[in-house]
Amino acid sequence: MVSSQYEVLSPWADADRVPLRGISERLSDLAGKKIGLFHHTKIAGPPITAMVERKLKERYPTAEFRYFRFSRTGDIEYRLDRIGLPGDQVQESQELERFERWVKDVDAVVGAVGD
Amino acid sequence: MSIESRKKPAVALVNKGFFHDAMSAASGKGMPGIRIIAESIPSECVVEAQIEAGIDAELDNIIAALTAPLTAAERTPKARETEKPSRIIFKGNLKDVNRFFYKRGWTDGFPVVPPTEEEVAEMLTGTDLPPSHVVAKLMPRLGKATVEKIAINAVMAGALPTYMPVLITAVEAMVEYGYFRGQAVSAGSWAPCYLFNGPIRDDIHINTGVGVMSPGNIANATIGRALGLIVKNIGGIRKGIEDMGNMGNPGKYTLVLGENEEQSPWEPLHVQHGFKKEDSVITIFMPNNHAQSVVYGTSDDMILRTIAYNISPSKRGTMCILIGPVHAGVLADKGWTKQDIINFIAQYARAPLSHMPYYWKAWLSIPREDVKGMAGQKGILLNPKDSPNESVPIIIPELVRLFVTGGTGGDINMLSGVGRWISRKIELPANWDALVKKYQDIVPTYALY
Repeated sequence: MVSSQYEVLSPWADADRVPLRGISERLSDLAGKKIGLFHHTKIAGPPITAMVERKLKERYPTAEFRYFRFSRTGDIEYRLDRIGLPGDQVQESQELERFERWVKDVDAVVGAVGD
Repeated sequence: MSIESRKKPAVALVNKGFFHDAMSAASGKGMPGIRIIAESIPSECVVEAQIEAGIDAELDNIIAALTAPLTAAERTPKARETEKPSRIIFKGNLKDVNRFFYKRGWTDGFPVVPPTEEEVAEMLTGTDLPPSHVVAKLMPRLGKATVEKIAINAVMAGALPTYMPVLITAVEAMVEYGYFRGQAVSAGSWAPCYLFNGPIRDDIHINTGVGVMSPGNIANATIGRALGLIVKNIGGIRKGIEDMGNMGNPGKYTLVLGENEEQSPWEPLHVQHGFKKEDSVITIFMPNNHAQSVVYGTSDDMILRTIAYNISPSKRGTMCILIGPVHAGVLADKGWTKQDIINFIAQYARAPLSHMPYYWKAWLSIPREDVKGMAGQKGILLNPKDSPNESVPIIIPELVRLFVTGGTGGDINMLSGVGRWISRKIELPANWDALVKKYQDIVPTYALY
């Protein structure tokens, strides 16, 4: 018995190329720097960032540490999309302003997902 | 990435099981050189000794990630060469087509219907939108959900052309929900549940009765299946790479239900939320578990207590209570409205405070002012002096829906999830009546024995 032959189309979608960006220049040293500690609201975030602070402080006693987390889960783009939407109980624009002030203040950031 | 784009060096610590997910996300958003450390701290670990061991193992790498000079590729990343396939991606027999698609990661593990030009052309008769129309760009790949790509995945799933308006609307609803950037990739394994109201249920034979969540109806089976393939093949969300659902969820194969409006004593779900009865509407929400309980008795009081006493403290507050028409009739005869029922359950579904995950700080993403009670009691903070035995509500009434569906048996079912509800009216093509007529007799007939 001859089996049928099928010429099939691809289900995999096309996507526009996303413009690529390089990452930021690194610091020469962490001594005396302000290190931001960011976690994304998951349960292991706080203890991981606290441990990072403790261990980095042992190596760099003059480093300072600044913590940040959003009050709810969601990335920056999610927050930008939600500004001004009705029913949103978190003032996203205020959250973003708080984030911008924090980023401006620090020299580098260690982020923990904690998931 | 947001920090790097603000010209501050950053390093991300991710559990090693999420490493490929993180790299995929970074590449997809245009920053492939981001420095990510795959640490070995157990997922969601709060044990200090394990965290200390994990950080000790990576401390030199953390410091290097913030201080080692950039490589050329990190400073100026080059685009990866992408495949430029021909329109006909493969030729072969049924078995070979399936193995090719499976090995490319394009299926859900079940056999697919080969999406030939002929099959796709027939599927496209289900909409009057042009094949090149982009319904949405689906994260994280920003894959273009053209009407044709939706049709190709619908063919693979075994859908009928009359499901195309549903699929197009469902894609729009999922984008509006934010599914692709949230629950679709979450470790929580949330699967979209698609609830249907209005004439579409009869038009395309969506099951609203016995075995509503069981296999056996093309519409219930393939609508969810097609959308799962769309999430994967257009959004680019693959199990273990972008989809980090830990245990997974069989609802990701399909979870499609119709409301039994004809036997319900109450307003249907869509009318409750502002639609006209004659509108065909799809509503989505995101459950990740299903619980069934035998009722304690068949009086109104016993039916309600069955629901209230069988909601566990680990639920996130969003819930769909699936109630059969017989129990619905008992409740309505005693004067209970849908809202009365929800209010009752909100009051009586309680647990000791120490049984709630947030008592142990498991849910940092919940604002502190919402933590106690999970019932929108603003301003009530979780106080260290609160008694661990204090009884607190489990659910959030604003996020609970009641849906009359299923058979005439005695069980109550609950789908529990997270987040909000989205409803959208399904826009139908101009030749809808003719389409419905063409496919309307595709229904199973079971031999009696």
